[in-house]
Amino acid sequence: MKFDEVAAGQYPLPVYEPYKSTRLRGPLQAPLRVDAPTATTNAIQFSPALVTPIDADLTAHGSAAPLGEKIVVTGRVTDEDGQPVRDSLIEVWQCNSAGRYFHSRDQHDAPLDPNFFGFGKFLTRHDGRYRFVTIKPAAYPWGNHPNAWRPAHIHFSLFGNVYAQRLVTQMYFPGDPLHALDPIFNSVPDANARQALVARFSIEESVGDVMLGYVFDIVLRGRDATPFDH
Amino acid sequence: MQRRSITSSQTVGPFPHESWRWSFEAASASAPDSQLIIRGTVYDGAGQPIDDAVLEAWTPATAIAEGTRAVPAFRRVPTDARGQFRFAPTASAPRDAGEPALYLTLFARGVVKHQFTAVFLEDDANVMHSSLLQQVPQARRATLIARKTAPREYEWDIWLQTDGETVFFDYR
Repeated sequence: MKFDEVAAGQYPLPVYEPYKSTRLRGPLQAPLRVDAPTATTNAIQFSPALVTPIDADLTAHGSAAPLGEKIVVTGRVTDEDGQPVRDSLIEVWQCNSAGRYFHSRDQHDAPLDPNFFGFGKFLTRHDGRYRFVTIKPAAYPWGNHPNAWRPAHIHFSLFGNVYAQRLVTQMYFPGDPLHALDPIFNSVPDANARQALVARFSIEESVGDVMLGYVFDIVLRGRDATPFDH
Repeated sequence: MQRRSITSSQTVGPFPHESWRWSFEAASASAPDSQLIIRGTVYDGAGQPIDDAVLEAWTPATAIAEGTRAVPAFRRVPTDARGQFRFAPTASAPRDAGEPALYLTLFARGVVKHQFTAVFLEDDANVMHSSLLQQVPQARRATLIARKTAPREYEWDIWLQTDGETVFFDYR
């Protein structure tokens, strides 16, 4: 598999002043373009035992239903050629419907939900599709600047089929007025690249009286995959 | 074929740990043949240790030896309160000449995109013939070489900024 150079503006700026934590943590030197056949061609394998069906239903991890709006999120993972990234691990994590993470370091004064922990994992199917059920996360304050509130989002961690396809990103919800004010969202210079992080509401994916549906398609780096890559 | 635009990256933020804990646990259950130890500290541009980074190690040479793991040849560890990490990869599978001891991926709050790097061992006879290392400017190669501290034990720090900034890769 080969990896073209990423177009300007597609990735966030490593040091983006409005996002404070980047100032001392963003590498100052551009990444070095190198040939590394091992990193770009060796397939990563996942044991089928790694995921169980309940891992893809974040509302089923407590002893009762969690509070909040139940939703389903689905989408297709492809490479830059549009080829499906199949049998590949995705991990997700998020805060609850009150804006609180189940995490020892989250000090936001919002309630934990004893029936919601906010993390899951699943494999993409043969066509690159994934689907999971969760609770719509809320916005929460984060102290980056006065009145700093993160827009509602779900973190996605994708492994792809080869090591160099790795990606961690965040999925946002449509119509959120906080997008324009969020330094993390806006650390991506290209407007289209930012908008591609916003899921699309889908009445087709919505399920009867149970939950609304959102679609978030993901394109990982890589072209010219060999049959062994996926 | 129409080329698709890639999905952009976003920081992992401070809270990936619970989602990723399944793999931390796998990493801490050290196998009897886990003989190589590589440890170090992750530093920011002010020289402060980073206590909320997560590092992933990929050791493709061990994929067959580790066939029973959930993700063979893959390990993941969070940095601790002192910014320190420790990997104990299987040492029994010989690497191809010039391959790094670990391919590494770094994530942290304030790091907007994962950073790929790699670490070589200073007493590996093939280091200077590594096709990967030879693509790194001479002056920066030392940032990728772990020093030996004891038999089978090595130390290697990661610097996100400063003059000694670790070399990060963009694979092609």
